[in-house]
Amino acid sequence: MNAIDTALTGKSAVKLISGNHACALGAIAAGCRFFAGYPITPSSEIAERLARRLPEVDGVFVQMEDEIASMAAVIGASMGGVKAMTATSGPGFSLKQENIGYAAGAEIPCVIVNVMRGGPSTGMPTRPSQADIMQARWGSHGDYPIIVLTPASVSEIYSETLRAFDLAEQCRSPVVLLYDQVIAQLSETVALDGAGHASATRKWASGPRAAYQPYDGGSDAIPAMARPGDGYRTHTTGLTHSESGFPTQQPEAVTRNLSRLFSKLERHRDLIDSSEALHCDDADVVIVAIGISARAATRAVEQCRAQGLRVGLFRPITFWPFPEKQLRQAAAKARAVLVPEMNTGQLRLVVERVLAGVAVEGLHLFSGEAITPSDIAARATALARGA
Amino acid sequence: MLIDTAADFDVRDYLRKEMMPHFLCPGCGHGIALRALLWAIHDLGLDKDRLAVVSGIGCAGRLSAYIDANTFHVTHGRPLAYATGLALARPDLHVVVITGDGDCLAIGGNHLIHACRRNLKLTCLMLNNEVYGMTGGQVSPTTSETRLTTTTPLGNQEPHFDACALATAAGAGFVGREVTHHVPKLKELIKAGLEHPGFAFVEVQSDCTEIFGRKNDMGSSSEMIMRQKSEIRPSAYLDTVDTPFRSNALPTGILARNDRPEYGATYRRAAAARKGAS
Amino acid sequence: MQDARIEIRIGGTGGQGLILSAKILADALAAGGKHVAQSQTYEPTSRGGYCNADLVISDGEVDFPITTALDQLVLLDRLAIKPSWPLLKPGALVIADTRLCPELPAGNYRRYHLPLSRTALELGSERVTNIVALGALVALSNICDRKRIEQAVRAETPRGFLDLNMDALKAGYAVHVQAAAGNNAEVNVGT
Repeated sequence: MNAIDTALTGKSAVKLISGNHACALGAIAAGCRFFAGYPITPSSEIAERLARRLPEVDGVFVQMEDEIASMAAVIGASMGGVKAMTATSGPGFSLKQENIGYAAGAEIPCVIVNVMRGGPSTGMPTRPSQADIMQARWGSHGDYPIIVLTPASVSEIYSETLRAFDLAEQCRSPVVLLYDQVIAQLSETVALDGAGHASATRKWASGPRAAYQPYDGGSDAIPAMARPGDGYRTHTTGLTHSESGFPTQQPEAVTRNLSRLFSKLERHRDLIDSSEALHCDDADVVIVAIGISARAATRAVEQCRAQGLRVGLFRPITFWPFPEKQLRQAAAKARAVLVPEMNTGQLRLVVERVLAGVAVEGLHLFSGEAITPSDIAARATALARGA
Repeated sequence: MLIDTAADFDVRDYLRKEMMPHFLCPGCGHGIALRALLWAIHDLGLDKDRLAVVSGIGCAGRLSAYIDANTFHVTHGRPLAYATGLALARPDLHVVVITGDGDCLAIGGNHLIHACRRNLKLTCLMLNNEVYGMTGGQVSPTTSETRLTTTTPLGNQEPHFDACALATAAGAGFVGREVTHHVPKLKELIKAGLEHPGFAFVEVQSDCTEIFGRKNDMGSSSEMIMRQKSEIRPSAYLDTVDTPFRSNALPTGILARNDRPEYGATYRRAAAARKGAS
Repeated sequence: MQDARIEIRIGGTGGQGLILSAKILADALAAGGKHVAQSQTYEPTSRGGYCNADLVISDGEVDFPITTALDQLVLLDRLAIKPSWPLLKPGALVIADTRLCPELPAGNYRRYHLPLSRTALELGSERVTNIVALGALVALSNICDRKRIEQAVRAETPRGFLDLNMDALKAGYAVHVQAAAGNNAEVNVGT
């Protein structure tokens, strides 16, 4: 066993590990037993770790011939009943989109890590970005539900990886773990507590075959899945299907089945939602940020508070579905909202929609550098003083 | 001598009756290929519960829905990649891929060559009808030179792929080709492919009568299927001069076979050895 | 606000082992109960090109994990001066290699211009310049207990290189003393 991996045994509670390393550890602790990937900076460390670890726990690692095949193999493994994950960065995330749509439509649980680097196109492979927020939600064609989690620290990458697998299984949905290159390759001292994690399991088909409908959502809109070998012999397709799993273009059946699909995550918001509000209760200015920008904002908030300015931070941890209610509550007293992000305004667009009527200002950086606490503090100070 | 010995084989035992009638055009060769596959499965006594069929997009891709097994109709060109994940994660399943010439050789070409190289136990059945039938008859990587399609109004100017030569060169453990005219031989070839311990690539020459045949004035479906007879050269005659077959005719039968180690078992062995050592 | 924050950068070029020396220091500090964030900036090429490995150290959880104001800077290549200089705190400790970084800008900082790479070469391999630099940093900053840094070097070093790395670390502890004695260094404690 790797010396660092003893963190999981609890022998040495605090360890210095990178974000990508924490992701690999979280995956193993969550019960991931299949990984397919393709080398890409800055996510390859996840694949390298799992290539070593998975065979030790009777799992399988495979480096596929391309990004598309990696996504396909992950879905294939999950259709076989095994918890599966892939990891990539922007260019690879683009290539995976068609199959991510398949996983959403056929409701195959899987976890996709996208370590965001600068773009467009090949962009800046070793520099951070937060510009895949919209692609993570809307990247595949057609309407579809998807869960996107945005951790902001090494320890949170670990805990959100655990949660990503749980949500994927519980909601039968692809889950994207979205974080920037900074926290991916940042090493931090963390205390990991995952050894005792009771992982969620998929709802499996049971009972007589004749009575089983593969896409009957039941009472919670999440259909039970048939495991190959259990005797149900079902059909899975990317075509629009009826409850039987077989293709249909009959308008009523299409509407009924897609309505369930499109609304299923809304039914489980209690399970899915996660966000954090720091000093928001009395805040005149609320900063909304994720990832490394939220870390900078945390420091900026402390600096502003030290000067007596009422500045707070709202941080979505589950980004999609977006925690709208929680943001409205956090910004209830805000006169102004500041959105620092490493893109040209993707999060700002969401915030403007959710907080219609409130003045929302963006602080956008796409130089390949992280936004600094002092830049945020300067803008927040000006906003708090009504400038 | 190959005769229809399977008096006990009833194709209906392997079909999903609720999916009938099927959607294939009259005269299409794909139904013959499907029957041959199910017959081979029957002959080998494969358990339907342990059988997984993964198919791509196109006319061939639709066949999985008719088979009473664990079936997965996935994205265009990717059935081999999905099947790779499924077979690695579930070595207890017998995984068969059904794909077409466009699915397998054009959009999915990269997956084919790497599946051949990797040599994971999968049986890939590529139904070659020389055309994109479902989208209305466009040129495919296997369309013969000079043939007319909706996107080659001047006649096809591009050389076509020899899929079996490609699979052989990429290292597939088993490579074979048969025509839908010879059903028992096709069944035997698929059976041999299913029994092969590594990656098996089986190309089935299948006619598209409604679209490709019509466009090229190739006559009725029976004329098209009879033409297959004159265009092949069984592998038994590959190296002999004394042959009733033309030397440039399409080789059929088992065309390549090797006993390279199967990838899944090799991986699991290496993992077990590492675990034992630590 | 809690701000017992110390920031360190080891700057140079890819392939010099900067990230390794930063990780060793971070491990040693973590073992001593500090909260540490270690980050790096590098170019897509594996060798050559500007690279830096940074540490942010705090008694409590590190909020912003990236360097913003350097307390200590080690320079193993002139390429690292330009991106690092704007971050330098007044009075910061700067340790620079005399050969790889022959000229340093003027400013308000504690300056140790030391023969780090030459010391490594004399030990038998320029590749241990990073460990010599680490030794010098520990000796001059007292940032970390020597026993802990030695443990961390041992933990991160392949057996075949252990003696060489330990020699390099110890040579690093003494390089400023010896250099001063031999008039090989320019030691200038800033105002």
